[in-house]
Amino acid sequence: MKNTPAEEAAALPGRLEERAPGRWELYSKSAESWERVSTPEGSRLAWRREEGWAARAWEDDGPRFAAATSPGELLAALADARRFAPETEPPPTWPNGAAEPASATPAERPPELFDELGRALTDATNGACTLSRLAVRRGTLVERVRNAGGLDVGQTRSELDGVATAIARRGERASEVRIAFRSFEGPDIPALARRLGDAATLPLAEPAAPPSRGEWLLDPVVGAALLAGIAPIFTSERPPRWIARGALAAPDTGVADDATPDALFDGEGVPSRRVLLVEEGQLVGGLRDLRAAQRRGLPSTGHGVRPSYRTPPAAGPRRIFFETKTPRTPAELLASVKRGVYASALISPPRIDVVEDRFEIEFAGIAVLAGRARAPVPAARVAGRLSELLRRIQALSTDLQFFPLPFAAGAPTILIEPASFD
Amino acid sequence: MQWDDAAVARWLEPLSSRSGELAEIFGERRREVSVTWTDGRLGDVRVRREEGVSARWRFGRDERLAFVAGANEASVREAVRSLRTISGREPLPIRNPRASKSGQTEESDAENEGTAWVDLQRWSRRLTGILGRHAPRHRFLWRVCETERRVVASGLAAPSPSSSISRRRLVSVEGTLTAASRHGDEQRPIAFHAPDAEGTADELKAILVAATAPRDRPVAPGDGLTDVVLAQGCAAVLFHEILGHAMEADAARSALSSPLREDARVAVAELDVTDDPRRLDLFGGYERDDEGVAPRAVKLLHSGRVGSRLTDRSHAARGGSSGHARRAGPAEAPMPRCSNVVVPAGSATSEEIARRLNNGIWIEDFRGGSAQVAAGTFRLPFTRARRVRRGRFTEELGAGVLAGRTLEALQGVEAVLGREARPCRSLGWCSRDGQVVPVQGESPDVLIRGLSVRSSR
Repeated sequence: MKNTPAEEAAALPGRLEERAPGRWELYSKSAESWERVSTPEGSRLAWRREEGWAARAWEDDGPRFAAATSPGELLAALADARRFAPETEPPPTWPNGAAEPASATPAERPPELFDELGRALTDATNGACTLSRLAVRRGTLVERVRNAGGLDVGQTRSELDGVATAIARRGERASEVRIAFRSFEGPDIPALARRLGDAATLPLAEPAAPPSRGEWLLDPVVGAALLAGIAPIFTSERPPRWIARGALAAPDTGVADDATPDALFDGEGVPSRRVLLVEEGQLVGGLRDLRAAQRRGLPSTGHGVRPSYRTPPAAGPRRIFFETKTPRTPAELLASVKRGVYASALISPPRIDVVEDRFEIEFAGIAVLAGRARAPVPAARVAGRLSELLRRIQALSTDLQFFPLPFAAGAPTILIEPASFD
Repeated sequence: MQWDDAAVARWLEPLSSRSGELAEIFGERRREVSVTWTDGRLGDVRVRREEGVSARWRFGRDERLAFVAGANEASVREAVRSLRTISGREPLPIRNPRASKSGQTEESDAENEGTAWVDLQRWSRRLTGILGRHAPRHRFLWRVCETERRVVASGLAAPSPSSSISRRRLVSVEGTLTAASRHGDEQRPIAFHAPDAEGTADELKAILVAATAPRDRPVAPGDGLTDVVLAQGCAAVLFHEILGHAMEADAARSALSSPLREDARVAVAELDVTDDPRRLDLFGGYERDDEGVAPRAVKLLHSGRVGSRLTDRSHAARGGSSGHARRAGPAEAPMPRCSNVVVPAGSATSEEIARRLNNGIWIEDFRGGSAQVAAGTFRLPFTRARRVRRGRFTEELGAGVLAGRTLEALQGVEAVLGREARPCRSLGWCSRDGQVVPVQGESPDVLIRGLSVRSSR
């Protein structure tokens, strides 16, 4: 007689222990979410009940990963994976511990924000920009991680995230931008409207050449994208050669990763904790999952990230941000700019090559002269050596903000010493 | 995916009783294997087995969707019950799921899977041999994805009720190989996407051999306007970005894209561009779309004039859906999307086209691409190209970005097309609003005047 899904789920740890004694990990999630997608043409409301199972097993030799939508399918997927023989690799040292997930409350429908954000955007741009699409999703997720070392932890998370798309027109030209947001309480509508408006309308401003050289002030969204781009430095097992003697950034710059406000555990059941990555400009730490920890003979830092149950956990940032011991207010930073450009929005994703020590950032912004905003700059580009860019960070502000990129990356307004603009 | 279509159609009935209402069930079963290959050694092995089902209702401006994991009758029932609740209809009564009528289907599924796995193991052994011989230093992700999709649709121009099942098996190889070059070893990116067929491994082998050919040290392509030949089928990437997306029925419109109204002349009369999902030899092909409609080829550009839109059932005009409803998975609602962008061949040889180009650049591959439909702009990054001076190939060029405006690019196409249309196997997955679907295209060599090129620094 066929087992029920609940019976199959209960039997899974035993089945995994039979297959790979002392060498397995089981992850499961169950989620309920609501999503509202609104456009001027109509709206869609979606309800989803998802279930996901994932297992890693070191049977005989190397690791095999399987993911499925039911316990029965998971065992079948593991059997399928056995048809391939990966390279031999020892299993990691499994963490242990126990934690019950908090009881999950049913997910609520997301708020209807299209009209409110649309009005705020129109007001912020004097009608130059319209909201063309808004997707808002709210959901509750219950995760559980078990392993052969006796770990059995669970956690419950609730999230609200979304993507807003806006179109601006000026004469014969148009610009379309898309901005993702994530928060527990809902987006800050005026801030989101301003960000959308700037990103959509600035590229359409009358062409005005930026100063060829000057100070570079980065909006938090640009700074966060830069930090997300350099994040591979913190997960690589061997830092790039250009990080000579650990000197990565300017002496007053720090980088940390601290996911404790978001989740108690990472995707491998290791407790979240604050990890200092850059202190006073020096590279002092890295991000490790269980496998990276095993290879390096160090403990996991709680950074086994699972973007989805469909992919095995891998070392990665979870909530990474710039910090400094001597922050200044955004107004002070602006006032200190004699001649330069405020990068307000990215025109395209930054191209950052941490191995080759190169970067290229295209942005729209505002020319600044003697601490005051002057003309809009519809498009400018700064390119060069990443090492020089990071060492020329002059000051960080107090207005730290986080953005989903897709992991949470945070930055305040950043002032960079004179750069050359194209 | 075992359920009784007639029972499901009955459950959907109250949701499609009014004129203009659409209701459907979409189920998907996906099997995916991915393996990393590093210098001939197998690394991570991953297998996915997923099933999901969603129920969808649409009427005018409103749409509702309910998704649950699993794809048996109980899952369908839960999806319909939830859909009826969130649509303000009487919920479906809760009943215990019926036992499957017999184990016959499951057994034959298992037999089929056994055969498929033998094929896969053969594939993997063959790949090991090909890589060992032609590209011994490499880092690749090999992925084989098999999907089975089942749709039960009713209302809004569907023959009531209709049901369909479609299957597809796709192979992707992506990564880098190290090639010995005249100026030392260099890493070269490779992307290969094709439906799993008899000749797929041979095609991959040919691409790897070409990719490892010695090259000179590249120089920067420079910044400015230039004439460009898009060769080896890569013009399909350009037409996918600027025409395929612009002709999706729900695409954003703007003052700039409005000249892409039906029948407007935007290019030379020699240029035809079609979106053809029926081309099953290309990565984006399918026999039924994700609303269960048999697709038809749609002329996006007909003798240089703007053709028809790509539609799904919700955006169809009088002629009905063109069969371009596509979903990234069962948890998503379908959108009208392009599939295989196909440009028929002309009559010119590559030498003739190089002579006609005279001075410019020759590009054979792009590493992605993007378009802003509302703004009418596009960007196509490339990793290498060749300079052509006075009709002859000269220096090797490094990475750059080709960019421009949709209309200007179309108007810049010369009335000379290569005499062989080639599939662009590096074009494989397309993302729009976070939904990723397989796409591809085929094109002859195309000469375009006055595109903007910029070096990547």
